[in-house]
Amino acid sequence: MDTKETSGIRRHEVNPRTLAIDRWMARLINVGGVGVIAAVLGMLVFLVAQVVPLFRGAELEELPSAQLPAGVAALVVDEYGELPCAVMPDGELRFHRLDGSLAKSWRPDLPGRSVTAVRAYPRDGIVLMGLDDGSVAEVKVGHRSRFEAAGARVVEADPALASVLPIVPGAALESVHHVRGPAGRVVLVRHASPAGARLVAVKVAERRALGGKVRSTPSAPAAVGAGLAGVVGEVLMANGERILAVLADGQAVVFADADGSYPEVQRFRPFPDSPGARPTSLGLVLGDVTVVLGSDQGHEEAWSLYPQRQADGSEVRAFGRIHVNEALGGRADGFAPSPVNKCYVASSRGSLEIRHMTTGTVRWSGPPVESFLAGFLSKNHDQMGVLESSGRLRRWKVDDHHPDGGWRAFFAPIWYEGGTGPEHAWQSSSGNDEFEPKLSLIPLIYGTLKGTLYAMVFALPVALLAAVYVSQFLRPELKRVIKPTMEIMASLPSVVLGFLAGLWLAPLVDGHLVALLLAVLALPTTALVFGTAWSRLPLAARRRIPPGWEFAALVPLLAVSVGAAWLAAPSVEAALFSVRDPGTGQMVADFREWWRLATGMSYDARNSVVVGFVMGFAVIPVIFTIAEDALSNVPPALTSGSLALGASRWQTVWRVVVPTAMAGIFSAVMIGFGRAVGETMIVVMATGNTPVMELNPFSGMRTLSANIAVELPEAPVGHTHYRALFLGACCLFLMTFVLNTAAEVLRQRLRERYKVV
Amino acid sequence: MKDPVPNVPDAKPPAGEAFVWFTSVGLVLGLTMVAALVGVIVLNGAKAFWPAAIERAELADGRVLLGPLVQERLKPGTPPAAGLLERQYQIGLREQNGQSFAWIDASAVRSSSLPPGALALERMENGAAFLLPAELRLAGGSRLAASDPAFLSRLESLIASVAERRERLAEVEKVRIGRINTELQRVKVGLRKAADLGTPDAELKAEAARLDADYQLLAAEARSLRDGFPADVLAGTDGAGRPLEFPVASLVRAWEPNRLGLGGKLALAASRAWEFVSAEPREANTEGGVLPALFGTFAMTVLMSALVTPFGVVAAIYLREYARQGAVLRMVRISVNNLAGVPSIVFGVFGLGFFVYVLGGNLDRLLFADELRYNNNTPVLGTGGLLWASLTLALMTLPVVIVATEEALSAVPRGMREASLACGASKWQTIREILLPASAPGILTGVILAMARGAGEVAPLMIVGVVKLAPTLPIDGEFPFLHMDRKFMHLGFHIYDLGFQSPDSDAARPMVFASTLLLLLLVLFLNLGAIAIRNRLRERYKTSAF
Repeated sequence: MDTKETSGIRRHEVNPRTLAIDRWMARLINVGGVGVIAAVLGMLVFLVAQVVPLFRGAELEELPSAQLPAGVAALVVDEYGELPCAVMPDGELRFHRLDGSLAKSWRPDLPGRSVTAVRAYPRDGIVLMGLDDGSVAEVKVGHRSRFEAAGARVVEADPALASVLPIVPGAALESVHHVRGPAGRVVLVRHASPAGARLVAVKVAERRALGGKVRSTPSAPAAVGAGLAGVVGEVLMANGERILAVLADGQAVVFADADGSYPEVQRFRPFPDSPGARPTSLGLVLGDVTVVLGSDQGHEEAWSLYPQRQADGSEVRAFGRIHVNEALGGRADGFAPSPVNKCYVASSRGSLEIRHMTTGTVRWSGPPVESFLAGFLSKNHDQMGVLESSGRLRRWKVDDHHPDGGWRAFFAPIWYEGGTGPEHAWQSSSGNDEFEPKLSLIPLIYGTLKGTLYAMVFALPVALLAAVYVSQFLRPELKRVIKPTMEIMASLPSVVLGFLAGLWLAPLVDGHLVALLLAVLALPTTALVFGTAWSRLPLAARRRIPPGWEFAALVPLLAVSVGAAWLAAPSVEAALFSVRDPGTGQMVADFREWWRLATGMSYDARNSVVVGFVMGFAVIPVIFTIAEDALSNVPPALTSGSLALGASRWQTVWRVVVPTAMAGIFSAVMIGFGRAVGETMIVVMATGNTPVMELNPFSGMRTLSANIAVELPEAPVGHTHYRALFLGACCLFLMTFVLNTAAEVLRQRLRERYKVV
Repeated sequence: MKDPVPNVPDAKPPAGEAFVWFTSVGLVLGLTMVAALVGVIVLNGAKAFWPAAIERAELADGRVLLGPLVQERLKPGTPPAAGLLERQYQIGLREQNGQSFAWIDASAVRSSSLPPGALALERMENGAAFLLPAELRLAGGSRLAASDPAFLSRLESLIASVAERRERLAEVEKVRIGRINTELQRVKVGLRKAADLGTPDAELKAEAARLDADYQLLAAEARSLRDGFPADVLAGTDGAGRPLEFPVASLVRAWEPNRLGLGGKLALAASRAWEFVSAEPREANTEGGVLPALFGTFAMTVLMSALVTPFGVVAAIYLREYARQGAVLRMVRISVNNLAGVPSIVFGVFGLGFFVYVLGGNLDRLLFADELRYNNNTPVLGTGGLLWASLTLALMTLPVVIVATEEALSAVPRGMREASLACGASKWQTIREILLPASAPGILTGVILAMARGAGEVAPLMIVGVVKLAPTLPIDGEFPFLHMDRKFMHLGFHIYDLGFQSPDSDAARPMVFASTLLLLLLVLFLNLGAIAIRNRLRERYKTSAF
């Protein structure tokens, strides 16, 4: 302190500068301290904020509606929803601006023929027209957008007639469908005949000639389900391999392509749980293998093609019900799929909804439209529109960034398209365009717990036994060296452990698995047997090994037992784990083969045993240090009292020390558990990182942490995959945070208990 | 428990002695594991530099291998009981053999010998080579036979002159031309901006022309240096007697392991170890040194400690001295302590999401709008880099420092604090003059432990800015000297990348073990430092306790 008296400051009065500095430092430290702590805790807030959008439904905001002419037959909308094209029943294409004015009108040049049926394929910008002479005309709508110099967007349309194909000469077509697959185009038409509605399919081989013109060669028309009465709706699916027709009595009939003919292969009744229900809406979701059916009573079900085991053991792709969705608000009366994801617009008398097929969730639900004629979801999944029969086009701005998110997507079993049942699966990327990411976190959580389990199976006994021995029996002068050694082990970089596990230990263990298993059995047995024998010896002999040095005496003994296990391994393997080699027919002693045959489970060289063993290196020191502290801190009065009453040293430890320190030991175990849960590099490097869900000790796993390390650098910012990885991080955070907090609370209890003692 | 076995001749054995033995198994296993782990790393790491003897092995099928025996193991895929062994030889000459290592059934080796004159070569490309040297064809036309006593020294001096020229070339190509490229990039961005805004760009164009002229000069210099490599050739034969030729200009090092004595081998190993820590990597990181990785680890760790220490200490002082003690504070303290147990990868996720994308992305928009706009949207700070990696690790190690500082502060005897206050010192004066000096060793221990944790951490770095090969170090002679936006290399990631992503994992193996040894030494050194400081601290309090 300033001792020199400056003017104005009297004796015993503090220099104002000192006080000012003190005040300022107090403020600075307060602000800084609170700031740092807030920043650290803000981390959790940030992580949660990144994850929250995944669980939001869609938010819609209605835009001004546009007036199109009444009596529209189909609707095709451009990417931006700015120039809707109304297809009139007579084949006229009317392009309207959003203010209702007509931008363009176009009519295909079909002299002498008139249009009797129309179907739009908004995803491809194609309108199919069925003609009264039995031909099918294909019209390209030709929406185009360009950007003018000022940055303004102009959407134009240039429709063109692409082809006219005769299908059923002379018949007026009632309905037309087509699909383009890798094998060519398939056209399906329905026309009236004296016997009722008939379905006819034609395969069209398309070859692009040199000039760029497409030459089409249609096959002979094939009658689909000849004599089938009362077809009310039909869809062409899976690249034309299957045709599904819904009959007036509510049955669905499936026809399969068999070299040009379409025999009936399956017949099922949708809504089997409510026999009176009749399908009133029918549509395909993106991918063309799943059909969503809505009933007159508001039921909704998704039926999909997937491999099903038949009675004769073969597998056939057939329809099965994969989802029973939440009921619609009333009679289903409209369906419009999204061109980019598995969402669709489902309209009913009671509601208008956006639903997601895979997760079976309702993304948004609103009041019903007057009468649903056609609907669309835009290619950017940012606009929805519904055309009412009055010609009013109602439009909504869609704010739905993660349509495939939601609790069910991440945690519930989901029946994916092509799967044979509901499953938890993590498969985030693939080369395929129509591939749907599977983002269930359950296999990752399972893998995390599996790795932790195997690590703990190995680490717990070693760490706890060592802690008991070091704290209670070891000579104090040795303890001063051994404890820091074990502590240093805790700071070994996990990349070093992972590297050793993957490149050095895994091949080693692979060849000597039986030896390893035998050693695991031999070590404790040797110690117990020798200890028992030793304690029976006369005192004079026993005094040769002073208390606290047992471990040193045990080292050669254990080395011998491991050596014996090593030598005995080949004969044990031959005796117990021999299998017949299918190639040569000889008996071969090989544990790996035996495991595969005996358990039917897989065997990988980089497996959970290796991971568990190496993760033990990371976990043992943590558990050891904390448990040893807890055991050492048991008040000496307790142990002295016990010994004085005549208990042996083991009785004292087992009956007095361990129970007293139980809470501390438990907290050590939990902290070790937390460390194993979050371990990353060891798992990345020492397993195959396959997200399997089996407890098999000889297969790998994919943990939450390894998954993040591997996939996050590649995940596009803000996408569902990116946020799903953040969700994984949140799970990890929560798991470890809860474990550690529980451990901390236990430890504080323990401290109070000591106080009482 | 001094002596639980009483000195009575016919005492009954105390109950449960067997279990005491049983518990010691845990300790034995734990210690064995530490010893085995360290042993494996040290042995294999040291082996990476040790000049192994070159064996000439004749095989049953007539082939002859020339190269060191690397290892022998049970043949994978065969039942272990059959006891079939196979040997791995390093045969080198990847350009001819397709691979530099070969697995041979032990039974297929008919005879093997150690030819005394066998020469091991380290080359700029295609890994090692082994040969039985015949002669040195000098550029002047004269020849020097391998039997000549001056052969090896002549070869070594030629290689040394080549190395010196290579260094000059690298100086020109990497440093000087690199500098011009950076300048040119800046000018190009300026030119694009000028063209877009329609502002005059004559000055920039002139600068670009000047830089281009400089570049041409340097390129010519580099060319002349490259053309000036000596044309001497080392000729010899492989194990089977087929001729081999190596231009001396392609060699890095040559030695005769079979003739080297122990001293010579030690000297050679030391020189190779020095090269390992002081040279740049070559051949997709599988050869050369780890200087950039070592340096990156160092820079990141130092930056991290510089960030974490002030914040950690301020937070701890706040918690211990200023905050009102109560239930809320206890919860805050538990939470902060528990953050130390949160997996490091979670911090990495936060670092990427917040530091890189949110902070970096917005800073880019604020500060580097031009660079973003006129340089193909290449982010400057909105991508992983040294700064973000250090910040992420600083956040991760913050709890360690806070806890250590709090403990150190609370260990300062109450009397010292009260004495200071009683003398009329203000709170801050007490903290500055009494508490901080007394707890400095404790704080230092915490910081060193944090450094050890940070230096060895890889998982979060993988997502916030570590790369397998960084073209430039994060520190150089150009303003602002410390380039915190640059991506960098890290020893831990180097291990991961070499061990698991390398195309030739056998060739990378010695390097991985050597890198592992280096990282282990670094972390052990930091930890031992922390323990030493802690022990001194304890003694100090012992003496100063009232």
